[in-house]
Amino acid sequence: MTEAIQNVANPQIEVKDLNLWYGDKQALKNVSIQIPKNSVTAFIGPSGCGKSTFIRCLNRMNDLIKSCRIEGEVSIEGKDIYGPGVDVVDLRKQVGMVFQKPNPFPMSIYDNIAYGPRIHGVNKKDLEGVVEHALRSAALWDEISDRIRSPAFSLSGGQQQRLCIARTMAVKPEIILFDEPCSALDPISTAKIEELIMNLKKDYTIVIVTHNMQQAARISDHTAFFLMGELIEFGKTRQIFENPGEKSTEDYITGRFG
Amino acid sequence: MVRETYLQQLALLKESVLSLGELAEKILHDSMESVINLDLELARETLDLEPKADRLEYKIEVTINDLIALQQPLAGDLRLVVSALKISADLRRIVGLSINIAKIPGKIEGGHLKPLVDTRRMGDIAEEMLANSLKAFETRDPDLAKGTAALDDDVDKLFYSVWVELIEMMAKDPSIVSKATHLLFLIRYLERIADHCCNVCESVVYLSTAERIKLN
Repeated sequence: MTEAIQNVANPQIEVKDLNLWYGDKQALKNVSIQIPKNSVTAFIGPSGCGKSTFIRCLNRMNDLIKSCRIEGEVSIEGKDIYGPGVDVVDLRKQVGMVFQKPNPFPMSIYDNIAYGPRIHGVNKKDLEGVVEHALRSAALWDEISDRIRSPAFSLSGGQQQRLCIARTMAVKPEIILFDEPCSALDPISTAKIEELIMNLKKDYTIVIVTHNMQQAARISDHTAFFLMGELIEFGKTRQIFENPGEKSTEDYITGRFG
Repeated sequence: MVRETYLQQLALLKESVLSLGELAEKILHDSMESVINLDLELARETLDLEPKADRLEYKIEVTINDLIALQQPLAGDLRLVVSALKISADLRRIVGLSINIAKIPGKIEGGHLKPLVDTRRMGDIAEEMLANSLKAFETRDPDLAKGTAALDDDVDKLFYSVWVELIEMMAKDPSIVSKATHLLFLIRYLERIADHCCNVCESVVYLSTAERIKLN
């Protein structure tokens, strides 16, 4: 593995010897990684390599799968998120997630954003500011400020996805996980989301799973390559795409298998 | 194997660069023979080869354009594409300089001022550098590339000694200035060819190791 990443100066997420099984099938094998704060870390690898499973461990989304068993350590800001007494709802507030398909709630644009803050007890008078701030941060405000009471489903796919990002940000997470956020979007919407992700890293730590290698190359600072449940290589993105250390990484990113 | 077409295009790119290299080797060798022996027939045949180099350079450029636009090469493939682009430009310059050399026999009347011993030696080293830099490219051998570039010092030393010799000869006998000037240009061309071989070697080191270094 590449030297630059062995000792991350400012790791926000630390994973040690993570193993995960779905029933008898082992999906993650001894994964150890340190993810730096305020940066974009991309996870790439062929379908079924474990990359989505891995990021779902970071906010315990895998807890929702019955047959799933996890061993190892995942800590965020030094705190073991699988430790006793961890409130999973709080954890998921701290570690937000945006999915492959935009999934707005069947309500207005405004209420989509306000939903989380309301639950977390934000005052009614502060709510408008929170909504506007989230929509501005998601680079959506200028496009929809005159119709925030319209149904979220009236937005285009790309706008819906940015709405979901705004909704995630409205509860002030520290980390945002993106699971293939652009795979259902056209190139223009994709470019907007990519630009957005690059801007968000100053305030958030971003972890993104993508099948689009060019996307990983364009937007991430670090890239991790997974293969058959193992973390094969983790390094600076420039290095991974210009001169990877492992042959299987090179074979994958140059399309020689996958 | 996936991406069959892509891999064929990469192989074609490498082959085309090597073909241009082979042609550059032939043009350099024949131009040196023609100038040393003042062989006008060989010089003319050599000059006729330049359009072939243009066609190969064009083919390489188109292949590279297609690869970047349509295939988005990465990692070692990306380094191949980048180095092929640079190497082909250097090879084309080597061809251009060799063509300049092949034009000299037509300008020299009578024999040479003196036997071209050191100049021939410069030509031999330049040919060796070109052959080895191409071999280093073909086999992605950074050590061979570095060793090859080290020969540039020998070429430079010979350049300065012949240069001083020619200046002194001209100072003594101004009637030889025209002939001597052609020889000055000749050694300058050879010195530049050796520099371009060093550039090729630098590209080979980048291709093999992703390291960007200066070799001359």
